Amino acid sequence: MSLLEVERAEVAFPTGRGLLTAVDGVSLSVDEGRVLGIVGESGSGKSVLSRAIMGLLPRSARTGAEMQVRLGGRDLRAMAERDLRRLRGREMAMVFQDPMTALNPVMTLGDQIGESLRLHLGMGRRQARDRSVELLAAVGLPQPATRVDQHPHQLSGGMRQRVAIAIALACDPRLLIADEPTTALDVTVQHGILDLLQRQSRERGMAMILITHDLGVVAGRADEVAVMYAGRVVEQAPTRTLFAAPTMPYTRGLLASIPRIEDAPGRRLEAIGGRPPDLVNPPAGCAFAPRCALASDLCRRQAPPLEGEGPARFACWHPAMEAAE
Amino acid sequence: MADVAAPMPVGAEDRHAAAIAAHRRRRRLGPMFWIPAAWLAVLIAAALAASWLGLAPPDEIDWMAIQVPPGAEGHVLGTDVLGRDILSRVIHGARVSLTVGFAAPAIGVGIGLALGMAAGYFRGWVDEAIGILIDAWLAIPGLAVLLLFSAVFGGSLSMVCLSLGLLFIPAAARITRAQTLTYANREFVLAARAMGASDTRILAREILPNIIWPLMAFVMIDIPIAIVIEGALSFLGLSVKAPTPSWGGMIAEGREHIEDSSWISLIPTAVMFVTVLSFNLAGDVIRRRFADTREAAI
Repeated sequence: MSLLEVERAEVAFPTGRGLLTAVDGVSLSVDEGRVLGIVGESGSGKSVLSRAIMGLLPRSARTGAEMQVRLGGRDLRAMAERDLRRLRGREMAMVFQDPMTALNPVMTLGDQIGESLRLHLGMGRRQARDRSVELLAAVGLPQPATRVDQHPHQLSGGMRQRVAIAIALACDPRLLIADEPTTALDVTVQHGILDLLQRQSRERGMAMILITHDLGVVAGRADEVAVMYAGRVVEQAPTRTLFAAPTMPYTRGLLASIPRIEDAPGRRLEAIGGRPPDLVNPPAGCAFAPRCALASDLCRRQAPPLEGEGPARFACWHPAMEAAE
Repeated sequence: MADVAAPMPVGAEDRHAAAIAAHRRRRRLGPMFWIPAAWLAVLIAAALAASWLGLAPPDEIDWMAIQVPPGAEGHVLGTDVLGRDILSRVIHGARVSLTVGFAAPAIGVGIGLALGMAAGYFRGWVDEAIGILIDAWLAIPGLAVLLLFSAVFGGSLSMVCLSLGLLFIPAAARITRAQTLTYANREFVLAARAMGASDTRILAREILPNIIWPLMAFVMIDIPIAIVIEGALSFLGLSVKAPTPSWGGMIAEGREHIEDSSWISLIPTAVMFVTVLSFNLAGDVIRRRFADTREAAI
């Protein structure tokens, strides 16, 4: 049994034009101590999926009746909000995209970290503070004993993200969801934050879902990668396999669009033409078909299921099998 | 070769010192704050210590000194038509004005804060219900409420505070709601929920500390307004009943003698004017200062 099991996740939002299907039948699982990368462009449903796992969807969201989320065997969807609150922060935690807004501007760092220690672990003020200093040291914040009494505006973006990670790690969760944790940061800082997340997940045996639009982020860090497109997982494989032999044309397009240092100067960057589909009126068949060079009548008529042998699965009628061998 | 320390650019040190001094100057509150604040401190202290100041009781009639002008022996600010000491009455009257000035905004902002936070945070039907409540409340003429309260409960200080406080609710609720809306969707609120915080906890620990200071600025504006309204009410005889002295009541008592004994009305008028002006001036400085620090923090 995996630590986290998500089955047939379906989330839709009512809009002025109709129901927008943000997540459309996603199933995935993460084992203890493993890192799952979820890659997709804006609007592919990856953030909504992470909110659905945490049970933090906006009130207006409609979820599918068959959707299931299990953490350590417990059915989160059937749980009362009270009990869910006890799991959040304690067993599963989250790191957000923008460290500038993810910290409360009027609370000291120590208070923000200590908050959940006191809430979940029943620590006293002094004890929570000492633990906060340890956590700040663990995430690589210099002078943690001084910093603990500072406010967020006294820190740089990268430092703030380290603090946000310290908050998430405070109660030693079993699952950490990092939603675009480096997107709002300078390139030079990104590397350090990703290394920190990876090291922490390894040291604590903590499972991690690393959500990003940047394949470079998951390369070498995730054990497995799921590629999302228009609310669905279109390809999922161990990271090495996915990078070496992408099967689904969308994944291939994504990989091809990464600029390479050894490219000749002036070489045109590969791009995937067109735009993602309208999620209120999605096209019949494969959502990627309108942008796909290999699309056939079958693709436009019927959506391919996510299938495959072994750990690598893909949803495509015309997979690039030759590359997989 | 000898090590040569990099020379400090000429004048750099001076400029640095000047910048620090300029910063300190800006941090200083200045006379526009301290003079009004000193007046308010003296007034509040006098009102609190009125019984120990060795003043004549405010309702004691000095038969030997009826309607004497300021500067008379034993009556620094003179006496009124009944021979009561005006200084004593002004200081005792300050108790009424200051109590109403602080209590009414506290009641109004307290209730408005709760309503506004609930509306801005929970949205949906809570927001709509509170919105309708506030619109309905605004549709009731304030003067009618005050008249009704004073007719029914007649002249008790706590009822004056309460009825005035109720008038401050709608504005406070709307400001709070708007402030809450801007913070409720911030990522740190979502982050708190992701860490298992309950709604109550988020409202109290995450949102309230962020919105409380803008609301304090609002309270600073309400205090002088409450004092002025209380003055008008007691002028009309709708606030505390005689013989409890109040500034508005004193002004009213002196108005028939304004030609021959103008000080009876003018002294409480002047005290009220200076007090209200002081609250406004000091409040402005604090609010501007607060706006500065907010910007610096962002």
